This record gives sequence, C-alpha cells and structure tokens, in this order.
Amino acid sequence: MPETLNLTCIVCPRGCRLTVVKDGDAVSVSGHACPRGEAYGRQEAVCPLRSLTTTVRADGGARPRLAVRSSADLPLSRLLDAMAALDGVVVRAPVRAGDVVARDILGLGVDMLATDNLEEARHE
Amino acid sequence: MSVGLQSMETDVVVLGAGPAGLAAAVSARSAGARVLLVEREDRVGGILKQCVHDGFGLEKFRERLTGPEYALREADAFRASGASLLTEAYVTSATRSGDSSFLLDCVSPRGVAQVRARALVMATGCRERTDRQVFIHGDRPAGIFTAGLAQYMVNVQGLLPGRRAVILGSGDIGLIMARRLTLEGVKVEGVYEIKSEPSGLARNVRQCLEDFGIPLYLSTTVTSVRGRRRVEGVTVAAVDGRSRPIPGTERELACDTLILSVGLIPENELAVSLGVPLDGATRGPRVDQNMHTLADGVFACGNAVHVNDLADYVSESGRVAGGAAAAWALGGPQARDLTPLRAGPGFLYAVPQFVDVLSGERGSVFFRSNATVAAGARVSLGAMKDDDRRELAAKTYPVLRPPELERLVLPPELPSGADSYILDMERMDGGGNDA
Amino acid sequence: MAKPRHVDKTRGSGAETGALPLAKALDKLRKAYGTGIELRDDRGSLALEGAVATWRDKIDAGWAAARFGYRGVVNDLAVPGLEPERLEPPGIKDCSLDGLAVDVAVIGGGVIGASVARELARWNLSIILIEKEYDVAVHTSGRNDGMIHDGFAAKPGTKKAWYNVRGNRLWGSWARELGVDFKRQGSLVLFRGRTSAAAYPLMASRAKENGVDGWEYWSRSRVRAEEPNASPGQHGGFFLPSAGSLSPYKATVAIAENAAANGVRVSFDTCVLGFDLESESIAAVRTNRGTFRARAVVNAAGNWADAVAGMAGDRFFSLHQRRGSDLILDVTTGVTQKHIMSMPSLFQAREKTKGGGLVLTPEGNILVGPTARELPGREDYATAPEEIRELERHLKVNVRLSLSHVITYFAGVRPCTYEEDFIVEPSQRVRNLVHAAGIQSPGLASAPAIAEDVSAMVVRVLERSMAVRPRADWKPHRLAPPELRRLPLEERARLIAANPRYGRIVCRCEEISEGEVRNALRSTLPVSSLDAVKRRTRAGMGRCHGGFCTPRVMEIVASETGTGLCDVLKKGEGSWMCAGPSKSGGRS
Ligand SMILES: Cc1cc2nc3c(=O)[nH]c(=O)nc-3n(C[C@H](O)[C@H](O)[C@H](O)COP(=O)(O)OP(=O)(O)OC[C@H]3O[C@@H](n4cnc5c(N)ncnc54)[C@H](O)[C@@H]3O)c2cc1C
Ligand SMILES: Cc1cc2nc3c(=O)[nH]c(=O)nc-3n(C[C@H](O)[C@H](O)[C@H](O)COP(=O)(O)OP(=O)(O)OC[C@H]3O[C@@H](n4cnc5c(N)ncnc54)[C@H](O)[C@@H]3O)c2cc1C
Ligand code: SF4
Repeated sequence: MPETLNLTCIVCPRGCRLTVVKDGDAVSVSGHACPRGEAYGRQEAVCPLRSLTTTVRADGGARPRLAVRSSADLPLSRLLDAMAALDGVVVRAPVRAGDVVARDILGLGVDMLATDNLEEARHE
Repeated sequence: MSVGLQSMETDVVVLGAGPAGLAAAVSARSAGARVLLVEREDRVGGILKQCVHDGFGLEKFRERLTGPEYALREADAFRASGASLLTEAYVTSATRSGDSSFLLDCVSPRGVAQVRARALVMATGCRERTDRQVFIHGDRPAGIFTAGLAQYMVNVQGLLPGRRAVILGSGDIGLIMARRLTLEGVKVEGVYEIKSEPSGLARNVRQCLEDFGIPLYLSTTVTSVRGRRRVEGVTVAAVDGRSRPIPGTERELACDTLILSVGLIPENELAVSLGVPLDGATRGPRVDQNMHTLADGVFACGNAVHVNDLADYVSESGRVAGGAAAAWALGGPQARDLTPLRAGPGFLYAVPQFVDVLSGERGSVFFRSNATVAAGARVSLGAMKDDDRRELAAKTYPVLRPPELERLVLPPELPSGADSYILDMERMDGGGNDA
Repeated sequence: MAKPRHVDKTRGSGAETGALPLAKALDKLRKAYGTGIELRDDRGSLALEGAVATWRDKIDAGWAAARFGYRGVVNDLAVPGLEPERLEPPGIKDCSLDGLAVDVAVIGGGVIGASVARELARWNLSIILIEKEYDVAVHTSGRNDGMIHDGFAAKPGTKKAWYNVRGNRLWGSWARELGVDFKRQGSLVLFRGRTSAAAYPLMASRAKENGVDGWEYWSRSRVRAEEPNASPGQHGGFFLPSAGSLSPYKATVAIAENAAANGVRVSFDTCVLGFDLESESIAAVRTNRGTFRARAVVNAAGNWADAVAGMAGDRFFSLHQRRGSDLILDVTTGVTQKHIMSMPSLFQAREKTKGGGLVLTPEGNILVGPTARELPGREDYATAPEEIRELERHLKVNVRLSLSHVITYFAGVRPCTYEEDFIVEPSQRVRNLVHAAGIQSPGLASAPAIAEDVSAMVVRVLERSMAVRPRADWKPHRLAPPELRRLPLEERARLIAANPRYGRIVCRCEEISEGEVRNALRSTLPVSSLDAVKRRTRAGMGRCHGGFCTPRVMEIVASETGTGLCDVLKKGEGSWMCAGPSKSGGRS
C-alpha cells in the first residue's frame, strides 16, 4: 500500500508544499521547486532530521547562557534526549563562535558548536 | 563644556546596530563618509542576538545561519569598515539644525554627547504589540509575556517564564518560542490565532508546531485572563468572520503563562519627532527606492520601515540606505523628483512608496499580498500616464501568502514623466480579489 | 467657611431622633425590593438582612434605607449566586510583629493611611503602618484620576465638601514639602447649550457655599481663546482655578516615604485579621505576621474598612463598591489642552459621580474617565469592552483626541457608604479606634485634611494614657530622587559624571535610567516588586508596556536585593516572573 505524506518543505522560507509517496522502498517527491526540496522530502519519508539550536550554561561569562547549534542534523525523535544530555554541559568563558562545546552528542556523531562569542564577565 | 557634556561631529549617524544599522554603517563608510553608529545595548546585533534558532542568511550568505552567527558576520564587516561605534548610548532627542544638519542628544554611562551630523539613518527596528493593544480584559497578573520578551528570558537570561504556556497569535516569534519552550521542558498547550490563517511562515508551523505535536487553533482567541498574582488560566473562544468571540464557544484552559505573538510595530518615535511622515499600512516611514524618507536627509531601513521576515532583506535595505545617506551627506542636498508608487488591490502594502526618478539607483519593490493566493499570481509594475498603463516589470509567483515578503526587481531604466507607478496582481485562477 | 456642624458631631447611640420607625421602613423596602427583606435596629444603625433578587436591588435598597435617618446602613442582603467576599490574607506567615508594642497602628497603606501616618509622625509616638500588599497605593489610591478637585461638585454641607476644599488648599504645601509634581491647571466645565449656561448663577452659589477657592464664568469666545481644541458645541464654561492634578501613586509613595523617614515603621504583606478587645478597647492587633499591642488604632482600610470595623465589633456601616475605569492617552496628547476639561450633559444629573472628563496629568498624558458602575468585587479590576465605548464620548470634548491615542486602560474601586459621604470619626463603641472609612472620590483631594483631623482624634485618644508632645526633629521635607529625563542636558551630564548608572537607559519608552531604578529600590520603604518600581519610576509604563525593560529591571532588583533572578516578583507574593532557570532537567 503506497503511503502519501503532505509536507511543508522547511529548507528555505519559500515553504513549498510537498507530496511524498512512499511505496515500500520507493519514494517519490513532487511539489518541490528545487532539488534541495526533493532531498528533504525523501529524507522526511525515511527518518526526519532536524538541526538543534539551543543554549548551554556558561560560567564566568558576561551572560549566563551561550547559544549553540548541532554540527549536523539529528533525528527529530532524539531532539529532546539531546536537550537532556546538554542540561549538564557547562562552558567556561571566554568562548568563540565555532568552538566545540560538546562532542559526539548521544553517540550520534554530531558535535555541539558555539554560535556566539562569550566574553569574560566584567567586574564592576 | 561642562562636566560630562561633549560635542561630536560626523557625516552620517546610524541609529540602531541591528543587521539594518550595521549594513548601513558599512556601506556609508565605504562610500567615504565619516560614520557614527549609535546603539543603546552593550553589544551590536539587534534582535538577532536572542534568535538562537537557524534559518538566517540563506539569501545573503547562502548558508543556514543562526541569529547570533548572522550578527557576528555583520559585526565583523562593521569592525573592518572603520566606522565609529557608541554602545549603551541612547538618543533622547533629534532636531534639525539649519537646513543641512541634525543635532542629536545622546546619553550614555560615559556622559552626554551632542552629535552634529549631515544625514541620519533610522535603523531602530521594531517593538512588539502588547496585550493592552489587543484589548484583553481582566487584571494584570504576572505571567503575561510578549514572545520576544520570553525569548530574551530563555535565550539570554536562562530563565523559564513558566511551566505551562498558552500562545496567543501565530506570528513567527510565537511559533519559534513554542518550539523553544518545548525543548526546554515547558508544556505548550497550544497556539491560538484569531485569523483563519497562521500569520507566521508555513515552515515555522511545520518545524515548530507539527514536529512537536503542538496544536494550532485558527479563528480562536483568548478573551480573558484569570489569576490575581500569577496567571492561573485563560478563556479561549472561537471567533466569527469579524473577529468577534462567538458566545457559547468559550473554553477554560489552565496555564501559568500567556505568550503573545500578536504583531510587531516599527519603532519610529525619533523619526516622527523630526517630522517624518509614516505609512498607515506599514507603520514605518514612507521612503523612496534609496530608503530616503519624505524628510530630507533622514533615511530609514530594516524593520523600522516595515516588518521584514528575512534578515537578508533587512541588510539589503541597510546597504541601500547607508550608501544614499553618505551621498547626501558628502554631496549636499540634491533635488528629488518623487513619483508615488502605489499597491493595487490584493496587496497589504508595497515598499518603497515613492520612486525618485532623478536618482540612478533602482533596487526592488517589496510587497505582501493581503490573502493567500494558492493558485499563484502574476505581479506587474506599471507606469501610469493619463490613464495609460505601461508595463515596466513583471514576475509570476507560484503562491502568495501574507506572511511572506516578496520582491520584484525594478528595471534599470524607468521612464520619466509618469504620474505614478502601480503594482498590480493578476491571479492565475482568474479570481478577483475579494479583499 | 465654617466647619459644618455635623463634621464634629458625636452621634448618640440608638436610632437618631426623627428616624423612620422600623415597621414603616420595612414596609417601604419590601414594596420596592421584595418580601425577602428583614430589618433590624443594630445599635442605631439599620441592618438589612434576608435576600433580594439582584445586586442592583441590594444597592438600591441600601440607598433607600440611607434616607430613613439612621446612623448608618449595614447591608447584609444576600443575592442569589453571589457569595459574600472574604478578606484573603497573604500566604506569608511569620512572627515578625510578635511582642511589639506601639502607640498607634494605622491600618491601610492607601493615601489616607499614609497621610494619617505622616501627620501622626509630628508627635513623639511610635507608629506602625500596616498594609496587606507589597507596597502602598496598590488599590484605590493607585487606581484613580489623580485630580485634586476644587470642591465644587460635592454636595454642600457634606464632609466630602468640607474635606475636599480644605484638602485642596493643603495639597499646595504638601506637594512642595514632598517633592511631588502638582499642577493647578484649573478645571473647565463646558456648557453644552444655552440652558446649561444659564445655570451659572446656581453653580456660583454652590461654589460659594462650599467655600471653593475661586470660580469664573468664561464666555464662548474666552473658551475658544483659552482652549482652541475644545468642542465647537461649547456654550462657554465654568472655570475653577484651584483644581489640579498629580500622580496619585507617586504622591502616596512620597507621603509614606516621608512618614518612614520620620520614624514610622511600614510593614508590608501584613494583614489585620482581628483584634483582642479588653474593656471596650483594642488591646492587641492580630495579623498574619504576629500579634502586637497598640494604644490606638486607625481604620483606613479602604474597601475593607467595614470588615475591619467588624473585627472590632463596630460595624455600623457597610461599603458598596463603585468601579470606575479610565483610558490613558499617549503623552503626545498633553499639549492639545491646557486645563482639565469636561462637558457634562444636563440630564446626566447623577449625583453619585461627577461624570468624568479629560484630566491632564503633570506628565502630559490625558486620563479619560472615570466611569461609575455598581459591581460586586472589592478588588476586581476587570474592565469591560462597553466601558471603552462609553469613555469614547468624552473624547469629543477635545477635537484633537481619538481612540488611537489610547495606550492603556485601568479600573479602580471606590469604597462607598450608602450615605455616600465620608466617615471620619472616633468609634462610638471602641475607645481607642478611629475610622477614616468610605473614602470615595474626592478622597485623594481630601487626604491631607482628613489626615489632620484623624491625627487630632488619635492624639485625643492617646492623651488619656500618655503625654503627647511634638517631635523636635520632625522633617516635613522629602528629597525627591532626580528624574533625569526632565533635567536640562548640562545637569544630566553632571549627574551621570557622578554616577554613570544615570546614563544607562533601561526603559526605552519612558527614558528611565538604571540609577533611577536603584533609587526607587533604596527608598525608605521596603519594596522590591517590579510594579513597585514601575509606580515610582514609570519604567514599564510606556508604549511597549515593559517588553524591553522587564528583564533589565529584574536584573537590577536581583542585584539590589541580593536575591536570584528567579525570586523577583511582579506584584508581591505569588506573582513570580519565572519558574526557574533553564537546563535544570524536569523534562517529561
Ligand atoms: C524572534 C524573531 C525571529 C526571527 N526569525 C527570523 C528567521 O528565522 N530568519 C530570518 O531571516 N529573519 C528572522 N527574523 C527577522 C530579522 O531578525 C529581523 O527582521 C531583523 O533582525 C531586523 O533588523 P533591524 O536591524 O531592522 O532591527 P533590530 O535587529 O531590532 O535592531 C535594531 C537596533 O536598534 C537599536 N535601537 C533602537 N532604537 C534605538 C535608539 N533610539 N538609540 C539607539 N539604539 C536604538 C536596538 O537596540 C537594536 O539593537 C526574526 C525576527 C525576530 C524578532
Ligand atoms: C476610578 C477612580 C477615580 C478616582 N478619581 C479621583 C480623583 O480624581 N480625585 C480624588 O480625590 N479621588 C478620586 N478617587 C477616589 C480616591 O482614589 C479614593 O478616595 C482614595 O484613593 C481612597 O484611599 P484609601 O487610602 O481610603 O483607600 P485605598 O487606597 O484602597 O487603601 C486602603 C488600603 O488598605 C489595605 N487594607 C485593607 N484591609 C486591610 C487589612 N485588613 N490589613 C491590612 N491592610 C488592609 C488595602 O490593601 C489598601 O491598600 C477615584 C477613585 C476611583 C476608583
Ligand atoms: S523545495 Fe526548494 S524552494 Fe521549495 S521550500 Fe524547499 S528548498 Fe525552498
């Protein structure tokens, strides 16, 4: 039995409405305006992947949190597990954007990277 | 000069160091002007600093950047440009002094500076609409936050605004906060939207709500808030076609937090004090294609002009405004010949509202449709002369949605002598426009 | 003007002579409001018991009973579906007041209680001001029009008229001493037509009878010259130069701060729950924070004053609640008129309210209102959409105003007796209790005068057991903290050079600096809630309603009070701003 999914492509702001038909291993995508959309539709049918953007605790910095992102997309179903794993992570200022703040999160082969600079706290 | 009161002079002052102001400062500086960028916060980057999610810069950098990453790139370019910067500085008053300069009073912890400048660029961003402006009745307990305030608390201060939240309004910030709060362990009961369509981008409905199973209720609104000290719950009700609550549809929801994502308003108090006329539809200054307002020497860009959905467009408008402000400051006042550009039926608005036919700069027209046109539409720009319409540019859009800003590039040559320019929409399904 | 006789009158116990006999009164009330009503002579007051069909009937029956000539009306009529309201004490419970002994306990941190405390502080007395909320002016005193009325509108011969005129005069010196911004713009009552203009002689004689400080007739052209934006429908006006306005919460804060600077102890989050009575006197005051002794007690409990009287066994009156709402217009509207303006309709003739108008505030906003609705709810500040429409009609008085200027709206509740007059008198049953109750409008205008009299009554009570002498070190003056946005640039620069925190703007709409927020937290009153900061500095009152300044003010509060950000409150106990830090687990 072919299975049909109606999705909104999230790769770019255009938000094309995709139709993904999955018949066993065969997946066909329509509605995309560009190849990135097709690739997204295929992946979505198999295992939806998402980037994770969040913050981690920071010590000694000008602010108590540091913005971070995943170096690659993670399975959507693991995002909350990844969040829980990040609860215990604490970075020490100074940090530069791009620095790795946590390696190989949940053993998925994905690192968490700083997306902002964090200077040391100024003392008044 | 008395204690702490200093004087400064420059060519261009840019107000606000978000992506619009940073781009404006860089482009004014590279055009040879002396530039002072004034920012009231202690870091540049504007609202992007708190937007830790990604999706920025797809157009400008062809990368999916987070807000802080986008801001850092713009800040690096700014630093390299050699323009000056005043942070934690707040412009309390701006006045015209003579016909070719402005005087700004600028307060900061370092003292008060009086800055003289030949051109001003307003890049002051926007503020959020609040519960009072949507007329929710009831007392004001703690626990009512605008989405941007909740975003600042979570992302910058590391604070959870509550444990159980209801979100009113489906603007992008509200959608993004629904996901952000869910990731942080806050239970989001649902997003309630008074209109029959979401006001945020479709991709945000997908990746922020559907991904996490958060319900979106359309044509529904919050009518009152319960709780004396802290929010204890809200009443929601379905609305009719004129946005009035339908009696009998009320539902009580328990929650400790109400987050409002009910729209953004361009911030223009200083521009208004200088006599800059605003557009009723955008609530920002009316500008020509150089982002020059109707007050000579005052330019504006970014979300201060109209609420953009993409930081990339914001940067672009900053680049245009900065370059034009530098030319004005260095070359002295130039004659302008402004021909109005109007948006025909089917549009919420179009920017710019004027074309200066004496200026060489062309640029783009940005517009929003006032309703979803699922079948797609052909949008064209015509020059009107004595009831004659001459088409200048056209483009076909597969779909038009009110939350999405679209652009039409202006042709390099515009005929002079037109009475006005008009933007028209032709729907592919041949349907008329009912709005 | 001579003090009206009844202001000093000590009333006898039992029904007043000339009061309508009970049976006749009952007959009248039952005819109008149903047979469910019972009546009782409660030591001279008329007690209404039983039930009526609606809230409106209850209020009307109370008003009718007030005309029967009894000392007061105690209205306990039940209304189906409406539970009697109970005073809800704060959740805080400790013993911080246990064992304390003071000369005077003033109950209620509204403008009345604060003013009484300030006046009493002139004497060699130990005083405590008790307020159940987290700050002063949380209730009616922070939710009104801020008008210092001229005294014309009050019914001649009432306490309202007397205290208003006297209070109006006193506000001049009080505002100066306290550093409160008070402007006497004058009040212009416009005539709607020739008929109402013809009422001028009547109005003048009433103003004279009340002892009002000045009045003038303004012709149509005079009005046009003075107020070019006044409605073109005007037929001249009645001008009262002594009327003015001030910020009611800033004034109450200033009064309480000055009282505290003169040694008054201010105890917030403290609710009076009852009294221990011994030989017709209050021996001890019971609160959620302990029990203490007081030689004299002042009841200035606003909308709960009848409940507090009841705790002392002296409930000879009942309060009903008249809710009023106001619109606040953007500060840019302030330049469109010079005076307080109103244009009452002739048929309005509602004696229970002055009808509302456009009150120009010293800050340059215009307040539109207030409305007047009889609704249950002593602390219910919900507004209704139809009120916005009702208030819209006042906008016509100034042709430059429109609904788009509205930045926000609020409601307040007036504590009213059925006699519709103030109660300012020593208790007849409890030897050391003084009431300042039923202080409805114009209570703010009257506050200094009420405080003078109450203070004198308290001194008389105390003189029975101690020697009361003036304090040599009483300081009438309060040094108001600077408001930077109102200072000339050079002055501002000088202050910033001395304290750079005056240069860090935290509220972008109202241009409030970090230094000003810290001053508010360092005052003589122990406050730390965000709304308390807002009341003192306006941070959060502008167009964005705190969207920008809230996190910044939270940080300053945390740093000043030495608590964590998560402990910052918006409006006292239970009004937490955040549930805790992120990243602390607890995800389901
Ligand atoms: C929550 C949120 C989510 C968004 N998501 C996306 C997204 O996913 N993708 C995308 O491409 N775009 C997104 N955007 C849009 C984009 O971020 C904004 O359009 C852009 O940041 C606006 O830039 P700006 O420079 O005009 O204003 P801002 O970034 O707001 O900057 C204005 C600056 O001016 C300063 N300022 C204002 N008044 C004064 C004054 N009087 N004196 C001194 N300084 C002053 C302010 O402090 C501020 O730094 C999002 C926006 C928001 C708010
Ligand atoms: C909409 C409106 C507009 C008005 N406009 C004007 C005007 O323009 N001019 C004017 O002169 N008047 C005006 N008034 C009237 C004026 O506001 C009041 O007369 C005045 O504020 C009453 O002050 P108060 O101190 O008696 O009451 P409140 O300010 O209510 O103070 C009483 C305090 O007692 C506390 N309290 C109660 N019970 C207890 C207890 N058991 N233990 C401890 N504390 C307790 C309460 O918490 C409260 O803070 C207006 C009123 C309203 C509602
Ligand atoms: S299919 Fe291509 S164009 Fe359409 S939304 Fe996806 S990425 Fe964007």
